[in-house]
Amino acid sequence: MGDLLFNITDWMRGTVLLDWAFWMQETAFSLFMVENFWNVPIAQAIHILSIGAAFGSVLMVVLRVNGMAGAGLTFEQTAARFVPWVRWSLLVIVLSGLSMIMAEPVRNMINAVFWIKMIALIVMVLVSLSWIGSVRAAAQTAGAAYVGTSGAKSTGWVIMALWCLIIVCGRWIAYVPV
Amino acid sequence: MYYPEPTTIWESIQYSPLGIFIAESTWAFPTIETIHVIALVTVLGTIFVMDLRLLGVASKNYPVTAMSRDTLKWTWGGFVLAAITGTLLYVSKTSSYMINPFFMGKMALLAIAGLNMAYFHSVTWKTVDNWDTSPVVPTGAKVAGITSLIFWITIVFFGRAIGFTLGIYDCYMVGQGDNGFIVNMLAGIACAGA
Repeated sequence: MGDLLFNITDWMRGTVLLDWAFWMQETAFSLFMVENFWNVPIAQAIHILSIGAAFGSVLMVVLRVNGMAGAGLTFEQTAARFVPWVRWSLLVIVLSGLSMIMAEPVRNMINAVFWIKMIALIVMVLVSLSWIGSVRAAAQTAGAAYVGTSGAKSTGWVIMALWCLIIVCGRWIAYVPV
Repeated sequence: MYYPEPTTIWESIQYSPLGIFIAESTWAFPTIETIHVIALVTVLGTIFVMDLRLLGVASKNYPVTAMSRDTLKWTWGGFVLAAITGTLLYVSKTSSYMINPFFMGKMALLAIAGLNMAYFHSVTWKTVDNWDTSPVVPTGAKVAGITSLIFWITIVFFGRAIGFTLGIYDCYMVGQGDNGFIVNMLAGIACAGA
């Protein structure tokens, strides 16, 4: 696994990604991020806090579909409470993530695990959007008694697993052989 | 690899077979750290949900007891997992953690956050029947909510700061130059016998 990831990273070194990373490294924002010792840790702390906010909100929606939380509430009430928090948290995740990429462009852009993380992030967002749409439609007439079908329930847990995969990749960007 | 004879209790922990294994393995530390992060975001996420209800910011029409039932088991499950994985990370570099002001600060904040939660559950929670379904919560519950948010945000920042400052502080620095009151105080704990 380590060899495969290293080989992909090595291949990336010969692509235009390296030129982009070098260009990013020279931008004023990148220089700002690295000139103060605390800028990167602060960006990482904001990144983790917003992941926490999104992760907790998604968990509550998944639990509601599984009939394990939000008793007495319709799905729409649960979604109205938590979905906006997921959206805004995702925005903060992306912005803090971008500032971390700008701080260390080569370390991130020339890294197979970083790109696996980005693909997993896109898949997670697409699966979540499609899932929330179909659950909304199915839950409309059921009211507070709504509990998801076995397919809806397990897709919810797949979304939680995708979040975990993204977190795994996020941590291993720092450790994978490059 | 050669390890010196331990001169402090912290070095004895660090140079134990478990400590050496985690420190030397290429996969153990990152794997444990990853599980620590997943456990941590579970704790954070569910605490945020509960704190926002206590502050009357969100879920205002959902009973506080129901919210507690939905979140608390996940908060505790995540916390136990974070504590186990955190201990394993600590064992691998005990001496460095013990003299790190952000690590010690994080432990102190965790203790205070725990006391805050214990006070809330043993005192404020007793009257919950009176405000369970009310969008307006008593001041005691609001204070518990806002202090919990502040503590946990600071705990995350300190947690990240540890990773950036580990090894900056060391026992050989003690008595050399001006290290500040906190580092000197921690050195008294971390370097005793060294």
